[in-house]
Amino acid sequence: MDFIQTTVESFISLIPVTLAQSLILSFVVLGIMIPFRTLNFPDLTSEGAFPLGGCVCGVMLAAGAGPLTAIAAALVAGFAAGCCTAIIHLRFRIHTLLAGILMLTMLYSVNLRIMGKSNLSVFGQPTVFDWAPFMRPGFPASKIVIAGLIALVVFLVLNFYFKTEKGTAIRAVGANPDMAEAQGINVWAATIGGIGLASAFSATSGALMVQSQGFADVNMGLGILINGLAALMIGEAIVGKQTVLRQLAAPFVGAVVYYQLVSVCLAAGMPPPDLKLATGLFVLIMLAAPTLGRSRGPLPERETIRE
Amino acid sequence: MLEIRSARKVFHRGQPDEKVALDGLDLKLATGEFAVVIGSNGAGKSSMLNAISGALVLDSGGIVINGDDVTALPVHKRAVRLARVFQDPMKGTAASMTVAENMLLAELRATKRTLRQGLNVKRLADYKERLALLGLGLENRLNTRVDLLSGGQRQSLSLIMAVGGKPDLLLLDEHTAALDPRTADIVMQATVRAVDALKLTTLMVTHNMQHAVDFGHSVVMLDAGKVRLEISGQEKADVTVADLIGHFAVKTDRMLLAS
Repeated sequence: MDFIQTTVESFISLIPVTLAQSLILSFVVLGIMIPFRTLNFPDLTSEGAFPLGGCVCGVMLAAGAGPLTAIAAALVAGFAAGCCTAIIHLRFRIHTLLAGILMLTMLYSVNLRIMGKSNLSVFGQPTVFDWAPFMRPGFPASKIVIAGLIALVVFLVLNFYFKTEKGTAIRAVGANPDMAEAQGINVWAATIGGIGLASAFSATSGALMVQSQGFADVNMGLGILINGLAALMIGEAIVGKQTVLRQLAAPFVGAVVYYQLVSVCLAAGMPPPDLKLATGLFVLIMLAAPTLGRSRGPLPERETIRE
Repeated sequence: MLEIRSARKVFHRGQPDEKVALDGLDLKLATGEFAVVIGSNGAGKSSMLNAISGALVLDSGGIVINGDDVTALPVHKRAVRLARVFQDPMKGTAASMTVAENMLLAELRATKRTLRQGLNVKRLADYKERLALLGLGLENRLNTRVDLLSGGQRQSLSLIMAVGGKPDLLLLDEHTAALDPRTADIVMQATVRAVDALKLTTLMVTHNMQHAVDFGHSVVMLDAGKVRLEISGQEKADVTVADLIGHFAVKTDRMLLAS
């Protein structure tokens, strides 16, 4: 009984911090959802775009730029990185996953170059979280309010955009590129713009994370992609993905639930080094679930992940 | 009006499996003309349609639609002028999107897409009306995802999407070949009604000789990447299935002699 009580107590005490963190990271999950689901372009760039956004933001803050300017710079850098991945895939016909791995590997060097060292403290610099009304800066509540507001705005804007004439065209590119092209849609422009946008969200997430934790580190993106995928799958299991609204809500709901689950595991005494193994196994089980329970017959040809 | 000027395309040039897909193909189609294209497998029918739509880049020669040379334009720019229905019902529609969204994509084929809401009451009413003409009940399934429709329903939807907006040129690529006879007939009847009503310039590829006899103003027979035979006017009106198959037979004999 003691074990359960201490677990519950430490979990509850961690809820606000975890919620703040998950809202910040929900943008990475969004940056993973858009390529994987909307554009049918399995993309790993976010693993490099997230620290890229963090490094750009860190350097900007250290140079005395305002917190919003720093986030904007990170966003632009992330957009450029995503465009590069899309162009590598489209122009050289390199598989999307390989194009993403190329980008994230190269981005590691780029990130080190940007910062000039492997980590950079920006503690005490002004952040967007200082602007939360009626709150003392630095507490989880202000982060929850600010990150939650940004998430809400992004969600509403995207939900509107994907139902406009332009947004419908972008979704068509993911659903059937040949058909989209035959309907007069520029598949290249839509893919490059869409993947760029997704990486911009990942980079924004990295920038917010740096402002939240007070330092930037080139290794801050390690494993973020698998975390994001796990969050996305949880979100889709909860809210579904049949409509634009549900598909867009899934990353946010999934991020919040996933990081609370991680928090439960940690509170229950799971050693933090085992976390990536646990997350990886979880994603594996989620992907494998449809093929379990059928021992015979050929496996489906398509990768489950592209479903 | 469509004009193909000595189109030439060679696949795998310089390799043992070199194949001349289009060998100086010339073809003219007057505005409002409905031509049926026949020919054996590998005669160049699909290559010709791909060259017109832009999916296939020609080695030499040109494509002119309504007096404008479109040879250098990519697929999505040519889409402003032409619409296409594929043989595979999966190819012409976006499976994970709804019937209404597919109709919207087709409606916007020739126009600039804006940041306005895509589906509105007026459009939905219009789609309902146009789909009702098919008599397949699609008008009541506007919000159904297309992958839940049958092959025939999807192909009918593709057709309605293609003829909407009155394209300068309609390309039909064996668009009834994958359907059961009854559905094929429904789609074919709908095709003829739309082509007649809108006076669309149409190029229809088919392996169905009865269709080639029954429909269209002219028959074009392709062989080895060239136009081998053109039948139009009174001759087309009098042609029979046996006549057309006879032309295939001549070709087969010639092939036997050549080998």
